[in-house]
Amino acid sequence: MKQADDIYYIEAVRNGNVAAFSHLVEKYQKLVYTLALKLLKRPEDAEELAQDTFVKAFQKLSTYEGKSKFSTWLYRITYNACISELRKRRIDFKSLEDQRFTDQDEMKMYDYYTETKKEDQEKYLNLALEKLPEDDQVLVTLYYYENQSMDDISVITDLTVSNIKVKIHRARKKMYGLLHEMLNEEIYSLL
Amino acid sequence: MNKLDKQFEQMMKGIRIDSPSSDFTLKVMSRIQAEAAVQKRPILADYQPVISKKTWIIMLVVFVLLLIYITVSSPEAAPATNSGLWSTLSGKLSALQTPEVSKIWKAGTGLLTSIPPVAFLILTASLALWTLDSFLTRFKHNPSEI
Repeated sequence: MKQADDIYYIEAVRNGNVAAFSHLVEKYQKLVYTLALKLLKRPEDAEELAQDTFVKAFQKLSTYEGKSKFSTWLYRITYNACISELRKRRIDFKSLEDQRFTDQDEMKMYDYYTETKKEDQEKYLNLALEKLPEDDQVLVTLYYYENQSMDDISVITDLTVSNIKVKIHRARKKMYGLLHEMLNEEIYSLL
Repeated sequence: MNKLDKQFEQMMKGIRIDSPSSDFTLKVMSRIQAEAAVQKRPILADYQPVISKKTWIIMLVVFVLLLIYITVSSPEAAPATNSGLWSTLSGKLSALQTPEVSKIWKAGTGLLTSIPPVAFLILTASLALWTLDSFLTRFKHNPSEI
């Protein structure tokens, strides 16, 4: 389903067909929930916030001008709601210490990673992702999983494109570092 | 995206994304249906009376002008001066009043008795129109309540 389909359903909702909104809920619920979960951590909080996000999006649908993709607009609502929830709880993001990992190390690590079993790959990747600061998890998910452009991520998070580039680069290196540690541990445990 | 980015993207595509509860859409849509029902109510904010404000003002002005005309014109010209409801009422009430009060009362009722029945007819018709207007407006915006 493309942006054109989103516009079709948005127009239907605006014309009074409330049920058409369920198509948008079905399409985006997983990513809205994932973003909320990455930031809030607790599944029940993430589910509640994801619901609130869709209700808010419905209420504000008349203000959506179509300048950005609907997904970008929706993720921005999600991200802002999460940030204000974290502020209420007075929780700061974890910090990401510099990881000395060269581009060549990354290449080697990738080859090593692809040789491991498929189920292990997913397990270690999820573990590494969880160890990143919450906001970096969101950036990595949006950029690599959801294929959002840097400009769109900038709209969602209110960060500058150059800042996003730096953060994503550092997060990627950090993840490779974490994977390296985990896969080494596994080798030692086998020996 | 450079080569390292592409590699990392391939890795990331391998992970499964989290899912909310299976009845997530149902929960959201029930909240949205409730929200939509609430949003429909403010339609009353676009309240358009059947009889416009302008028409009411014109009717009021005509009524006041008619009152002034009748009051200013000679009392003899009014056919209901010594008969009708107001004169009967004023006659009975004045018997109960002290001379001072009855003097004021007579002055007031004298003015009212000079109003011909046609003016009361206009007033009654206006009130009837206003009631009908309220009824039609309610029916237009909320037919289930009627």
